[in-house]
Amino acid sequence: MSEIKLVQITKKYGKVDVLKGFTETFTDGEFITLLGPSGCGKTTMLRLIAGFERPTSGEIWLDEKPVSTDTVFLPPEERGLGMVFQSYAVWPHMNVFKNVAYPLKLRKLPKEEIREKVEHVLEIVNMQDLAERMPDELSGGQQQRVALARALVAEPGVLLLDEPLSNLDAKLRESMRREIKDLQKRLGISILYVTHDQSEALSMSDRVVVMNEGVIQQAGTPMEIFHQPANDFVDQFVGQVIRDQMADIESFSGVRG
Amino acid sequence: MDKRSGFHFDVKWVFILLILAFLLVFLVFPLLYLLFRAFFADGSFSLDAVKRIYSYSLNWDCLRNTLITASLSMVFGVLIAFPLAWLVTRTNLYGRGFFRTLFLLTYMVPPYVGAMAWMRLLNPKVGTVNVVLKNLFGLSEAPFNIYTVGGMVWVLTTFYYPFAFILLCRALERMDPSLEEAARISGASPVKTLFTVTLPMMLPSIGSSAIMVFVAAASCYGIPSIIGAPGKLYTITTRISEYVATGTSQGLADATVLSVFLMVLSLVLLLLSNLLMGKKNRITISGKSMRPNIVDLRKWRIPLTILTSIFAIVIIVIPFLSVIATSFTQNMGKSVFAEGNLTVRFWQNVFTRSTILKSALNSLITATLAATLGMIICIIMAYLLKRTNMRGRKIPDFLISFGSGTPSVVIALALIMTMSGRFGLNLYNTMAILVIAYMIKYMMMGMQSTISGFSQIGPVLEEAAAVSGAGWLRRMKDVVIPMLLPSIVAGWFIIFIPSFYELTMSNLLYSEKTMTLGVELFRYQMNSSQQTAAALACCILLLVLILNLVMRKLTKGKVSI
Amino acid sequence: MHMIKRMKKCLSGVLAMALTLGMAACGSGSDKAEDGSGSGSGNEAVTGSIVIYTSMYNDIIEDIKSELKKEFPNLDVEFFQGGTGTIQSKVAAEKDAGKLGCDILMVAEQSYGEELKEQGMLHPHIFPDADKLAFEYDKEGYWYPVRSLNMVLAYNPEKYKEDEVPHSMKDFAENEKYKGDLSMSDPLTSGSSYCTMVGLLDKYGDGYFKSLGHQNVTIESGANAVAKLETGEIRAAMILEESILKKREEESSPLTVIYPEDGSVPVPSPIMIVDEKYSANKNIQAAEVLQEYFLSPAGQKLIIKGWMYGVRTDMEEHPYDSKSLSEMLKNTIPVDYEKCLKQRDEIRALFQKEVSK
Repeated sequence: MSEIKLVQITKKYGKVDVLKGFTETFTDGEFITLLGPSGCGKTTMLRLIAGFERPTSGEIWLDEKPVSTDTVFLPPEERGLGMVFQSYAVWPHMNVFKNVAYPLKLRKLPKEEIREKVEHVLEIVNMQDLAERMPDELSGGQQQRVALARALVAEPGVLLLDEPLSNLDAKLRESMRREIKDLQKRLGISILYVTHDQSEALSMSDRVVVMNEGVIQQAGTPMEIFHQPANDFVDQFVGQVIRDQMADIESFSGVRG
Repeated sequence: MDKRSGFHFDVKWVFILLILAFLLVFLVFPLLYLLFRAFFADGSFSLDAVKRIYSYSLNWDCLRNTLITASLSMVFGVLIAFPLAWLVTRTNLYGRGFFRTLFLLTYMVPPYVGAMAWMRLLNPKVGTVNVVLKNLFGLSEAPFNIYTVGGMVWVLTTFYYPFAFILLCRALERMDPSLEEAARISGASPVKTLFTVTLPMMLPSIGSSAIMVFVAAASCYGIPSIIGAPGKLYTITTRISEYVATGTSQGLADATVLSVFLMVLSLVLLLLSNLLMGKKNRITISGKSMRPNIVDLRKWRIPLTILTSIFAIVIIVIPFLSVIATSFTQNMGKSVFAEGNLTVRFWQNVFTRSTILKSALNSLITATLAATLGMIICIIMAYLLKRTNMRGRKIPDFLISFGSGTPSVVIALALIMTMSGRFGLNLYNTMAILVIAYMIKYMMMGMQSTISGFSQIGPVLEEAAAVSGAGWLRRMKDVVIPMLLPSIVAGWFIIFIPSFYELTMSNLLYSEKTMTLGVELFRYQMNSSQQTAAALACCILLLVLILNLVMRKLTKGKVSI
Repeated sequence: MHMIKRMKKCLSGVLAMALTLGMAACGSGSDKAEDGSGSGSGNEAVTGSIVIYTSMYNDIIEDIKSELKKEFPNLDVEFFQGGTGTIQSKVAAEKDAGKLGCDILMVAEQSYGEELKEQGMLHPHIFPDADKLAFEYDKEGYWYPVRSLNMVLAYNPEKYKEDEVPHSMKDFAENEKYKGDLSMSDPLTSGSSYCTMVGLLDKYGDGYFKSLGHQNVTIESGANAVAKLETGEIRAAMILEESILKKREEESSPLTVIYPEDGSVPVPSPIMIVDEKYSANKNIQAAEVLQEYFLSPAGQKLIIKGWMYGVRTDMEEHPYDSKSLSEMLKNTIPVDYEKCLKQRDEIRALFQKEVSK
């Protein structure tokens, strides 16, 4: 249902090569994470898939249909994707309900159906009681859920998430991670997730694509990434960091115990 | 925001009090004095003057005309400014950097220069455009008549829409692009996004700019004085000048009473817009520095560029060409291209007058001081308004708007009466009195720009600095002002430019030593040398453009119009 | 932010320096006393400062200033030039503040002199040759006419033929052939226009205003009228002769004066010395000397050079391309200046009612 195929994607900004020949296929129902340090090109890749920018060269196919090639370019509103932004991008002039209903209004669904779907998705993210609130009355975590609900309400094949949890506190991040993962399993939706947080990537994903300087370093399951790093970078950036974190926890519990 | 127990010396209150004192002494007091003289002519409150004024039906006509022309100018001004601002800041229109500066040109020259140009172009008998069109299309009558309400609205709009344009460009540039991107990915086309997301979020800025255009149009004297007369369209400002010109105290009182209407009007507008916009900060800027996403116009790119160019030609190029042509025309009865009619003597006039350089310098100094001091006041007052909960914080905002709505001639006279030593302070015939006059008149514009900027930035950013231990001054310097910088710069220019060429107040307050370019310009115009006036107007425009270029170069693009 | 502020200060400092240097280099040169001051005895003794408010043309003021510098090398004369209305309102405001900004006024017409005299703001100084003056003057010496404007008609022969334009003030108002094609100054803001209207009102009655109203005359400044005469937008204007003469001399303009058959309206403009308690520099001695100078042939020559009529009957000189004073005075419409002063409000109201609307 929702396969993303990326063929030799390059992206240049002026003289800077942000992406150098990225090729991958993401299959239906996967939870894929693009993991890498700042500037590695992961957000750019996401934006290319969303359609906010055009690749300098290469092709993007969604479900066997070309959305970005030399001859074809589908703008974002025609790609049928859902996206959650790092800044949530919840519209301040609309209340929660209207925010979430927006994609459905655009598709000109009848009012009753809109209400049904919106209430349904608000329940999924546990925001059903706050439907009348305005965004400036919500906390960060609540705004995040609204953004999530809005991205899901039109039942997209793929959900794109651009570092959605980095503005939340640690505890909230933890619980949101679990919720998102749960959601994915329940809805069977494909998720393309971008983050720089190693443990986040490893704990949530079916597959992780580690990037650095516009190039894929390694693509594999979290276990493969952790235990069989393909090169030094992956080892340093992922393996070592996780190992350090585990060591911290051990020494901490050691002190306690 | 700051809740501290016990008495704490908070430096921001020092600033606030200083500024309030300044406003009270130099803005409120002169105007109040004038009002006092108008309503308490014989020592006791009397509405005689009011009865006298409002018994003339001519004056009611003026009120009506002013309201109509100002309102229409406001509406059209914003209707023009917003799409242009959007095209120029948010899309891939060809040549948008160029258009961005081009569309500002009209407000870099005194409005009456434009009025004279349009009068030459669109008068029904021999207007250049009319003649050309008649010949081209074989019409029996001239298609355009500038001496109508439509004509006046046209000139007012083309001269004051830049206020809105500047504000809106800034606001659009600083908007968080992900808000629009979220709409796009939800399925909205660029146009749909514009109407359902961008526009509603720009409402506070649109409101601010609408007020500015209205107040500017309503208190404009130059344009109605030239275009109104033939069609018997009188406005409050022209009537006020007539009262003032009687040279009597009663005339002055009558003029004041009429002015009150305008002052009150700008206050009412301010109230209205505050009500409509509500307290909501339409926070549209997050902490990250973001490039606003560019809408790809695709197949509309060329047609829209052509449309914009046509617009630019009609609004800007044509009148300026007329001004330039005039400056080179020996005999205004013939075309500049007629034989022997091209001359540079008027330009020579301008450059050989020994007073020109001095006047230019004076204008530069007074305008710079007015803009700089004015913006300092605006920043602090806007801060007070938006970031504190002090009771009565709206008052400075009202005071500032009060001043801007007052016709220039009334401000000047009020200053003469109060600042010439009668009350202990004598600033007459100094540059200081000019600076004060400009500040009173133009600060509101700077204020609106700053408030609009504050609306877009959440308090979070400043709070973050506070948490890190920065005191108020530090926070202002390190966080607030840098974030506001584009709005501050826009506001600075919005005050600087009209001060630079201002003539009505300067005409009353100048002395030989403090003569300004505006006065020079006005004199040439009044001494029947519109050609020299045109040449001087071109010089003023060039000076402003050069200044803009220099500032841009010096600050690597950060500080410019 | 400091950086930017500093930069701005720096910038204006740099610009200021550059411009000052530029000015110094150009050199205003007006401070050179060109030839010896043989013309006046004891003129070096006239010292101090004097400020003059006037509505005369700029160019004239420049000439006058340089002449005055030659005549009175130790006297610093400053001019404030503005329209009559501007100056009158400025003076009114200054009076309210308790002190005027000038020592001499050369503006408006004699009813203003009367008005200021009544308010006790003037200082009298008898002019011994007053019998040589062609116009009324204040017998106690509070004001004397120093120049005379002349309200006439004007047209542009390159745009309209001579028989297509009015040739009298009566024709101007009554001939419907000219409807919508005429221009005049606003009597509510222009003193000379106001006096002219009073004169015409007396000559032709209230009906004159009514007719003017029907003519749809455009009421605007003389400068605008001149511009429109040149482009042909206006057929004829009721205008001060000096505006036309200036254009003719300086730009070889085709605009031509029509001396109305029923008489032009000369409007003499007074010179007044401000009383010591109101005057800016309290330099009565210099003010008196200057008044004498302006009324003397030397001063009058300057005035005539400025396209205005002089006021002395014993001088032959006349403005460029116009008549001699005695010629001009042969056919005029008289103005009742007392009426101008006393009935100002009614006449203004009448004009507004009949013509402005």
